[in-house]
Amino acid sequence: MSENVLHLDHLTMRFGGVVAVNDLSMDINKGEIVALIGPNGAGKTTAFNMVTGVYTPTEGKVVLNGQDVTGKRPDEITKLGVARTFQNIRLFSSMTVFDNVLTAKHLRRTSNFLTATFRLNAAEEKHMREETEKLLREVDLYDLKDEMATSLPYGKQRLLEIARALATQPKLLLLDEPAAGMNPQETEELGAFIKQIKDRFDLTVFLIEHHMNLVMGISDRIYVIDFGKHIAEGTPAEVQDNPAVIAAYLGVDEDESGLPSEGPRASAPAAPPEARGPLKVETRGGKGVQ
Amino acid sequence: MSNNIARKKIDSATIISAVIVLCIYVAAFVAEQFIAPTSMLFTVLKKGATYALVAVSMNLLNGFTGIFSLGQAGFMLIGAYVYGIFTVPVAERINVYQYYNGGLVQFVLPWFVAMALSGLVAAFFAFLIGMPVLRLKSDYLAIASLGFAEIIRAVMQWDKLGPITNGSNMLRLFPSFNDFNIRAADGHVVVYLSTLVPLLIAGVCIGVIILLINSTFGRALKAIRDDEIAAEAMGIRLASHKRLAFCISSFFAGVGGAMLAMYQTTVQAKGFTTAMTYEILLIVVIGGIGSVTGSCISSFLFVAASEWWLRFLDQKQMIGSFEVPLLRNGFRLVVLRRRGPNERERTSP
Repeated sequence: MSENVLHLDHLTMRFGGVVAVNDLSMDINKGEIVALIGPNGAGKTTAFNMVTGVYTPTEGKVVLNGQDVTGKRPDEITKLGVARTFQNIRLFSSMTVFDNVLTAKHLRRTSNFLTATFRLNAAEEKHMREETEKLLREVDLYDLKDEMATSLPYGKQRLLEIARALATQPKLLLLDEPAAGMNPQETEELGAFIKQIKDRFDLTVFLIEHHMNLVMGISDRIYVIDFGKHIAEGTPAEVQDNPAVIAAYLGVDEDESGLPSEGPRASAPAAPPEARGPLKVETRGGKGVQ
Repeated sequence: MSNNIARKKIDSATIISAVIVLCIYVAAFVAEQFIAPTSMLFTVLKKGATYALVAVSMNLLNGFTGIFSLGQAGFMLIGAYVYGIFTVPVAERINVYQYYNGGLVQFVLPWFVAMALSGLVAAFFAFLIGMPVLRLKSDYLAIASLGFAEIIRAVMQWDKLGPITNGSNMLRLFPSFNDFNIRAADGHVVVYLSTLVPLLIAGVCIGVIILLINSTFGRALKAIRDDEIAAEAMGIRLASHKRLAFCISSFFAGVGGAMLAMYQTTVQAKGFTTAMTYEILLIVVIGGIGSVTGSCISSFLFVAASEWWLRFLDQKQMIGSFEVPLLRNGFRLVVLRRRGPNERERTSP
């Protein structure tokens, strides 16, 4: 089929006695939009952090375009064409919108600090500024370019984070809950936007998201994890019908379910739904809860 | 269209500040020709220029990169010594290094070469100590860099290094700011330049720092200050950029040290105390963390206040025959000193 962009090979991440991610394997192919979902605390962001080099996995390998990148620094992985956004917005707060995006162009520089200081890189700097300008126009933030990044409304800040990630010229874009805090309409627009930039910038998208409408609407494939363990994968339709997924989200009475109780679930009793975070799974035909 | 307007605005701001700086230079030059060279004004301008450079270099680190380092006095010390060691005239070395048979170094570099070398050596030391120290964060980094400055001060006074550093004795008789004055054959000063030249040196160095801050590297440093994790995720290598900022900051602190040596006309390690770093830090904080203009202005204000305007506070204040007890050392100790927790306990019933 199409070529593999990201391959997670039996990733395990332990923090002391806590197993945040347990034996997770995934494959993402070029041009796909793949979602990683799971209840709160399932280890989704930890998985992201392993892919982007923030954490070095305790076990397993991260393979990017056939190259083993396990243990590389975040900046090295970004240079290899992986960009990300953050669950809690992390913009450069003292900078304008324009400078936020321009800063993300720094990694593709050819100048060193001397040539940059004495403006011998004027052509490159000009090119960086032009590209930033072009990018801002494409994501429709150009009119706000001289605003301080933190003065933007929330939805625009999320957009700016994506724009900043795009400025690093990624091949694989990781979005960590891009729709968090957005209303249904904004979420819908975001879905269209993600599809649009995917085509426009020839990206592969890997996202974590709780808004099931968004996930089901744009994903080609979905991986579901719970307690750090992979419990299901497939197309949106397949995942929605998977009893293990419904159990993970809604909780389950173990006596009545036909599911095997194993791994961490055996030691951790099924928590009531309130304790596992808001329910956003969309059941067949029904309206998503919350 | 709007882009053009924005660009023009930036240009006009640059032009205005350039004109202001130029006016200051002209005023300093003119004043120097007509006012007696012993005037406090020139002391303030010379020392203020030196401190402005060091304060801006500290701001590059503390204000723009978010690295809270307190090693500035140490790098100034290195700079001052390198300058002194390589510029004491060969003929005078037997007098200066009187306990070390004239010392080991028996050649002289031109002052500007020695000054550049001051910066380079300081930057080299910054590179070395940066490797362990920059792994630390916030307070720990501050303590480690402060410790480094103290160690350097002790090492420079070490007797075994005497043939190079003159041990705990002072280095002197090297070219100072007064040697920039142009003299006629009979020793009479024709053109005074002893204030203009330090102002120019500081101005050029600060200009270079501003250029760096506004370059792509400056943006990367600010990104690190704002959010290390996001900066790293945007492909900015933290270690190398922090090291770069640390070395450049130390380079200019070294140059500032050389300027301080020229201002003082002598160099002795015991003068470069932690208190000096705190003075610089005070200037940076008063001027505003992350503001170059603020650092420059507050450095002149600080020097003027401490050397000139507020000096009267140390003298007896008399109204008629009544001696005002306010504001002298004892008064300040009692009134302005923060009480420790133990003391408060003791005084409370």
